[in-house]
Amino acid sequence: MAMHTPLVIVKLPAWRRRLLLVLVLLGFAALLGRGVYLQSFHKRFLQEKGDARYSRTLVLPAQRGKITDRYGELLAISSPVESVWANPSDVKISASQTKKLAELLGFKKETIDKKLANNTREFVYLKRRVSPELAAEIMQLGIAGVYLQREYKRYYPAGEVTAHLVGFTDIDDKGQEGFELAMNSALSGKNGSRKVIKDRAGRIIEDLEAVKVPQDGADITLSIDRRIQYLAHRELTKAVEKFQANAGAAIVLDAKTGEVLAMVNVPTYNPNNPVNIQGKTRNRAITDIFEPGSTMKTVTAAAALEAGKYTPDTLIQTAPGYMSIGPATIHDAHPHGLMTVSEVIQKSSNVGAAKMALSLEPQYLWGVFNLIGFGSKTRIGFPGEVSGRLRDYKTWRPIEQATMSYGHGISVTLLQMARAYTVFANDGELKPVSLLKLKDAPVGTQVFSAKTANEVKSMLELVVLPGGTALKAQVLGYRVAGKTGTTHKLGDHGYEKNKYVGSFVGMAPASNPRLIMAVMIDDPSSGEYYGGTVAAPVFSAVMADALRMLSVPQDAPNNNVVIPNDVEDVKESI
Amino acid sequence: MITAMLNRDRINSPSYDQSLLWVTLILLGIGLVMVYSASIAIAESDKALGYNSSYYLVRQAIFLIVSLTAGFVAFNVPMAWWQKMAPYLFLLGLALLVLVLIPGIGKVVGGSRRWLSLFVINLQPSEFMKLFAAMYVADYTVRKAAVMDSFTKGFMPMLFVMLLVGGLLLNEPDFGAFAVIAAISISILWLGGINARIFGGLIVLLVVGFVFLIWSSPYRLERVIGFMDPWADPYGKGYQLSHALIAFGRGEWFGVGLGGSVEKLLYLPEAHTDFLLAVVAEELGFVGVLTVIGLFMWILIRAFGIAKEAIENERYFSALLAQGLGVWIGVQSIINMGVNMGLLPTKGLTLPLMSFGGSGILANCIALAILLRIDFENRRLQKGLPA
Repeated sequence: MAMHTPLVIVKLPAWRRRLLLVLVLLGFAALLGRGVYLQSFHKRFLQEKGDARYSRTLVLPAQRGKITDRYGELLAISSPVESVWANPSDVKISASQTKKLAELLGFKKETIDKKLANNTREFVYLKRRVSPELAAEIMQLGIAGVYLQREYKRYYPAGEVTAHLVGFTDIDDKGQEGFELAMNSALSGKNGSRKVIKDRAGRIIEDLEAVKVPQDGADITLSIDRRIQYLAHRELTKAVEKFQANAGAAIVLDAKTGEVLAMVNVPTYNPNNPVNIQGKTRNRAITDIFEPGSTMKTVTAAAALEAGKYTPDTLIQTAPGYMSIGPATIHDAHPHGLMTVSEVIQKSSNVGAAKMALSLEPQYLWGVFNLIGFGSKTRIGFPGEVSGRLRDYKTWRPIEQATMSYGHGISVTLLQMARAYTVFANDGELKPVSLLKLKDAPVGTQVFSAKTANEVKSMLELVVLPGGTALKAQVLGYRVAGKTGTTHKLGDHGYEKNKYVGSFVGMAPASNPRLIMAVMIDDPSSGEYYGGTVAAPVFSAVMADALRMLSVPQDAPNNNVVIPNDVEDVKESI
Repeated sequence: MITAMLNRDRINSPSYDQSLLWVTLILLGIGLVMVYSASIAIAESDKALGYNSSYYLVRQAIFLIVSLTAGFVAFNVPMAWWQKMAPYLFLLGLALLVLVLIPGIGKVVGGSRRWLSLFVINLQPSEFMKLFAAMYVADYTVRKAAVMDSFTKGFMPMLFVMLLVGGLLLNEPDFGAFAVIAAISISILWLGGINARIFGGLIVLLVVGFVFLIWSSPYRLERVIGFMDPWADPYGKGYQLSHALIAFGRGEWFGVGLGGSVEKLLYLPEAHTDFLLAVVAEELGFVGVLTVIGLFMWILIRAFGIAKEAIENERYFSALLAQGLGVWIGVQSIINMGVNMGLLPTKGLTLPLMSFGGSGILANCIALAILLRIDFENRRLQKGLPA
């Protein structure tokens, strides 16, 4: 029983007990102090560190706006895709999973290993923009640390047909060309965001702030009529191939409103897969200038009529087929002798046009060219538009004034030339052009009197009739008014001897024009190069189908077309 | 009249320390709830556990039932028996510590060989060694009371025994258990009246020894460096502590609410074991931390109060053991909470009565039952009844 009666007295000093108790209690006191410090004074710092580790700001992508034609047909639309990404420090992957993942993504196994080796980064794309189906298969592998991110891929249903107008976006959905570029900010809208706390496995636990809802981008309705666009694309492509041309462009305008119903270029590209697109993305109709040639004579003639010095029947002596101005000489293709103003246009006489131009004040002629839109941008809102070149009249020499009358020494875009011809479809009023659909026809600028405009339009009708330069521009059942143009191409060292640009600008039905079309074929190398041969057939084919498609009433009998084989085109002067 | 009232008071007063029992049960209860809260995400994401969210809850509940039963049995064992068995239990503890080091018998978890596989559960001998050591040193001090002043007769044998225990524990390695056992032993020797000069020398020896141990073993050094500035390498060595501290900061005064911890969502490793207090701090705030600290303080204070009464009854083994158990629970909880708060380097020590783990809970419950038994016997003696 040692327990109750110890043999020796055990020394258990009370002060030792108290000291020990106080020491241990001091330990608890230290904990309390530390707790107060951590949970009140130091909390902000610690919470920031915590946020840095597990709060994430997620981007809620705004859906990019649609681009449609004037009837709502889709030209550009965003479809959801998934991007596969990984946080390398969280990834747990077995060898067999790596193999399967590599197979699904179409990578080598080593590529996956390499991407996941970078432990310092928290975000690595494994592959962007895969289909939702493939993404689902990848997630079924159940690899920890591999995630999906919703993105949108742009799809262009009309593909190469509208490529130059609509353009395309890059992998980050930013517009690179065309309207995708021009109206990028309106189309993209505003991404939303969501600040959340995630657990270590990447699952969202809670929202930290109110969700910022994404604002989807605005839809854009172009003035384009997709059916006419297809027609123009088909016929232009055919012509460029047939005449082995370097390039081509065509524009169809609504004659009354100035809306662009079609605008096509060759060569073109596939905007759904824009690779090897060097030199193919230019919307030449707007971004490239060329010397128009004889299509300019129409404007010269109208200026001469408007000035009151000429009537359509005024006779002009063009013999002997050439004319010297100072040291320079201008030529006609064939000597024509005495001609009316109408015949000058119909047969495209350089000498006749020059004589009319030289009878006018330089300032007046410049004023007409300027008013009808040459030398300044159309402000159609398309990236890369150029203004063309119209020199100040004060620097004009007589020879320059003479050559400008038939479209040399002046540079224009195809769009400017098409717009200029709205004057002859609208009783002398120049309509502004638009690539966006309009509600009402805009008010234009009066350039000529209605009388002058209609007289010139009547002259243009002669061009497609026997004795004119563009028999191939005729359209079954409709009267056509138009003008051909053919020029030597401007190279680095002046005009190139064997390179031409053939063009045609016209409208139909001539009695009450509904459509205006301008066609330009650049450097046809098959041997044919006159505008009446290479460009006019494009006009004819597109107009024939487009007018019927739009149910435009005929203004000519169904036997109005003179078979071009019977009568040769008059060779226009270059 | 007055003596009659006093007598009646004495007779009607409860036969055991109700506050100590309730504090123990409350800590066990908070522990169970917090273990469940802290372990849901861990269990759900673990394929080996069958993604079963209540895996740890069920096991901890079973541990509690077993431990409370064992505690009830221990409460009914007279202190005389414990004192008689003290040396044998200590030898049993030593044998288990040797056994655990034998490859094939001892189970390695997380780089330490600390567990014995017994069919369905793993036994951690070091947890029981804390109890056995407290008993042994208390018994030793009473037996050697006459020679406690002597360096060779009083101190040397105990130093030898402690170096043996220390050697075994550091081979696992289990530095935390060694620190706790050293604290228990030194406390009992100090209370038992060890010569102050010897004690001074012992403290110096221990400090030198600890410093040497820390500097000699790279993994301990890393723990010390990581503890000093967790933000220097927050994704490496400071990872665990930085997440524990963030949990404290997020909890503020009143916590984010039970179940609302983000840190337990796989960010904070060992959230249900060593870092349970961090989850308490995040979900229940400083109020929760204060409650836990207060409850542990009450156990410490009661242990020393019970010891004082035992001394008055001249029951020196009980007195020393009561204080040894108080120091055990107190020091281990301080070290664990200090680690959670970044005051001390990471030790691998659980929070007594609360952290997940069968051996720890069982040993703690038996310790508290013995403390209640000492008090029970005190009260009987005060009432003039046999112990």
